[in-house]
Amino acid sequence: MIVVHRLARLLVVLVVVTFLSFVLLNLLPGDPVTQILGLSATEEARAQLRRELGLDQPLLVRYLDWLGGLATGDFGTSYITRMPVGAELAERLPVTLELLIAAQLIALGLAVPVGVAAARRAGRALDQALTALSFALLSTPVFVLGVVLILLFAVTWQVVPATGWTPITLDLGWNLTSVILPAVTLGCGQFAVYARLLRTDLIATLQEDYITLARARGLSPRRILWRHALRPSAITLITAIGLNLGALIGGTVIIETLFGLPGIGRLIVDSIFSRDYLTVQGGVVLISVGYVVVNFAVDLVYAAVDPRIRRA
Amino acid sequence: MRRRLGLGFWLAASWIGLVLLAALLADLLPFPRYDETLAGPPQSGPSAAHPLGTDGLGRDVLSRVVYGARVSLGVGIGAVLLGLGIGAPLGILAGYRRKAADAVIMAVNDVAQAFPALVFALAVVAFAGASLRNVLIVLGVLGVPSWVRLIRGATLTFAEREFVLAARVLGTRDRRILWREIVPNVAVPAASYAFIGMAVVVVAEGSLAFLGLSVQAPQPTWGGLINEGRTLMETAPHVVLAPSVVMFLTVLSFNLVGDRLRAMTDVRESGLEPVRPAAAPALPAAPHPVHDVLLQVEELRTHFTTPRGLVKAVDGVSFTLERGKTLAIVGESGSGKSMLIRSILGLLPGTSVRGGHVYLSGDDLTAYGPAEMRSVLGLRLGTVFQDPMTALNPVRTIGAQVTEPLRVHLRMGRREARAEAVRLLASVGIPDPARMLRRYPHQLSGGMRQRVTIAMALSCRPDVLFADEPTTALDVTIQDQVLRLLHRLREERDMAVVLVSHDLSVVARWADEVIVMYAGKVVERGPAREVFARPRMPYTEALLQAAPRLTDPVHHRLRVIPGRPPDLVDLPPGCPFRARCPYARDRCATEPPPLFEDGPQHHQYACWFPRDPAPAEPGSTNDTAHTRADTGSTSDTTPTRPRPESTSGGAGPETVTGDAASGVESRGR
Ligand code: SF4
Repeated sequence: MIVVHRLARLLVVLVVVTFLSFVLLNLLPGDPVTQILGLSATEEARAQLRRELGLDQPLLVRYLDWLGGLATGDFGTSYITRMPVGAELAERLPVTLELLIAAQLIALGLAVPVGVAAARRAGRALDQALTALSFALLSTPVFVLGVVLILLFAVTWQVVPATGWTPITLDLGWNLTSVILPAVTLGCGQFAVYARLLRTDLIATLQEDYITLARARGLSPRRILWRHALRPSAITLITAIGLNLGALIGGTVIIETLFGLPGIGRLIVDSIFSRDYLTVQGGVVLISVGYVVVNFAVDLVYAAVDPRIRRA
Repeated sequence: MRRRLGLGFWLAASWIGLVLLAALLADLLPFPRYDETLAGPPQSGPSAAHPLGTDGLGRDVLSRVVYGARVSLGVGIGAVLLGLGIGAPLGILAGYRRKAADAVIMAVNDVAQAFPALVFALAVVAFAGASLRNVLIVLGVLGVPSWVRLIRGATLTFAEREFVLAARVLGTRDRRILWREIVPNVAVPAASYAFIGMAVVVVAEGSLAFLGLSVQAPQPTWGGLINEGRTLMETAPHVVLAPSVVMFLTVLSFNLVGDRLRAMTDVRESGLEPVRPAAAPALPAAPHPVHDVLLQVEELRTHFTTPRGLVKAVDGVSFTLERGKTLAIVGESGSGKSMLIRSILGLLPGTSVRGGHVYLSGDDLTAYGPAEMRSVLGLRLGTVFQDPMTALNPVRTIGAQVTEPLRVHLRMGRREARAEAVRLLASVGIPDPARMLRRYPHQLSGGMRQRVTIAMALSCRPDVLFADEPTTALDVTIQDQVLRLLHRLREERDMAVVLVSHDLSVVARWADEVIVMYAGKVVERGPAREVFARPRMPYTEALLQAAPRLTDPVHHRLRVIPGRPPDLVDLPPGCPFRARCPYARDRCATEPPPLFEDGPQHHQYACWFPRDPAPAEPGSTNDTAHTRADTGSTSDTTPTRPRPESTSGGAGPETVTGDAASGVESRGR
């Protein structure tokens, strides 16, 4: 039942997001026809092109048309490049996905042990250091962090290339060196969020009766932390992973530009500059769908982590 | 309660002030204008003339950063004011008229969160034109949902507080309530969020500028400067570092100021900072013999350092316990009985100091290190807590939890442990134990859960079982079953049981010995039958009178002792029960009563004017029964032979005749 309910809500959200973005993008000044033909084109040529592109139709008709196409997986054809938007997105998607996944892995891989260690000795040096570090990281704009990391690792120590992308299909090693710096840049802020959330929740969990009883059973602190306390403390963290995805995707726009990665974010920025509405629109849809689907998946993960939810 | 804002706050505030001032007075400052090329040699590092060096065109970097601050702070302030202006009224309305607004807010939130905001900002600014005004409007509008959420939340917390409810009941007009009561209270969280919002907007503007979509050249922006500086990273890193550092410090400062403002008003954090344990004052116990018994607790003390002062939660408790016996510890909540158990087991928080000794078969557990202690806990000492709802880990199966001690302590294999777990669960009366192993705690009733926790406590066949209010959270019928079970298991396994309870009907049936605690101290002790038949200490008497009787109508069951337990932080001198004691006299206020001993059964009590014992068994009359206490635990504190006196102020306890037996009668068993 709840799944159906959530799916329905998910669809509504998607329709609203696409409609809003479609209308907004079309109401903004700037015109693909001018972009294609230039300012000197004759009125006749412009009208001709409008008809060809279907731009003479009312906005609502165009939206429904586009939405109908979308339902069959057709993102439309770019006015500017005359290429199918879907194909372009599909080509760029793996880059962004790899970046996102790598960033999440780095963030979680660091946040879990650090958060656990800080919670274990709450208020001590390590905990205070984590608090200060996460505060600093959360105050660092992603492009500032990126520039500093490039300066250190690519320019000064030259351990990784500053920019550029090697597809994973070409060479795994080079692929990894090209993804590591952007992923770290993107993951740092997430690490700060995750580590703090986990620490706070763990500290609360460690006050629970069942933890005291686990101690009363003579179990070691390490076992209690990892086996008994971590899982019940992970709920907020998992929620955050889903909700933060929006911020993370915003970050990829910057990161991909900064590091010269051919991903979705870069495509959107380029399309914005070239007034390629349909491509921008396609990117927006992809991001929204991704966000909504991931959060839907998060709900399913909950049930795996916390059996109490399974009943619902 | 106000908290100090701290040095960090003032440093951050000063930095913000400095940047703001520099941005305002940029035209008056003694450096070249931001667009003056060749103000110095291109790409030169920091020098006296150019404190932050020059860029590729020889422009002064400091000047460019300062002028860039105009855009960042201008957009920041403008966008925050815009967001606040739209968001605050909506938020207050939503919080105050909650029902109607909730659905709308939820829906808008759903959409807003799935909406790639930065992409939108990019598109709008790109298509509408990259001007200060457009950037400001876009970022301001994008901030509205957060503002609505924040203000609504703050309004909600206040809209339900007494003063607003009171005003509503009094019929005060809504608008008046809003202005008088809610707006002033929402102001502080709003101010706090204004600073955090500034940080968000400055970062967002920087991101737009970095992509070339904010205020256009020649006007410098921080994001733009960083983007430009990138190209010179190899030859002149200062060009990119200067705006980066300034931007970082500014964002950090806004966050810090906002965070401190929030913390200042956050009730959860105020006044509850953990206090470090005072350099552990040694709490030495007097010399004492170590008896050949299963468990001997000697002058156990547990003191807590709290912000308000020293709390003596357990203050000098001694007892011995042998196999096959049940010792009951009774008292109201807060009397220190649960803390006594935790103290014996060494499960105390870091702010406590423990003194005294705990001997298990003659070995002093207080001398054990953590690892040694773990080899005793669970293995020789079992524990059951009050609330079965919180005693089991909600996310692990019963099987995982029951087999864990077996595998850890007894090093059983997986199969062996499961087989043993099935036997254990069966022995505590759980039907279909094999299936039970796969279930989760939430699928079980309270009684079943308590059986599971008992099974876990017993899994390694402990010598002593500590049961802290094992039945308080259960139904009356289940209570009886669980207690019978504990009793049966004690017999079967020849364990000793320490049963903590505030419910005397529980204790009276199952205990051999009773200790009554009040304010961390033992105030009465003795064989269970004796203590319940002839309570000497007025507190015990009151407990017995307050205890529910099965003959009471249900709604009368919860009777209480008038008055409250004393504040443990500053205990008054004299008898701790004095304020609530109907028999208190002058002496009780000045001298704390020691433990007297009475009768051949080692019945002890701490009271100057004890209740008159009902006629005891033939041969032990009151007058002759007073003997010197000779149990090791109290021999040092018990005064010589207390004797009945007719006047107050004497050295011994006075026997008071009269209504003492009331309430005891019905307890007789
Ligand atoms: S010593 Fe005095 S105040 Fe304390 S219980 Fe006895 S009579 Fe009451």
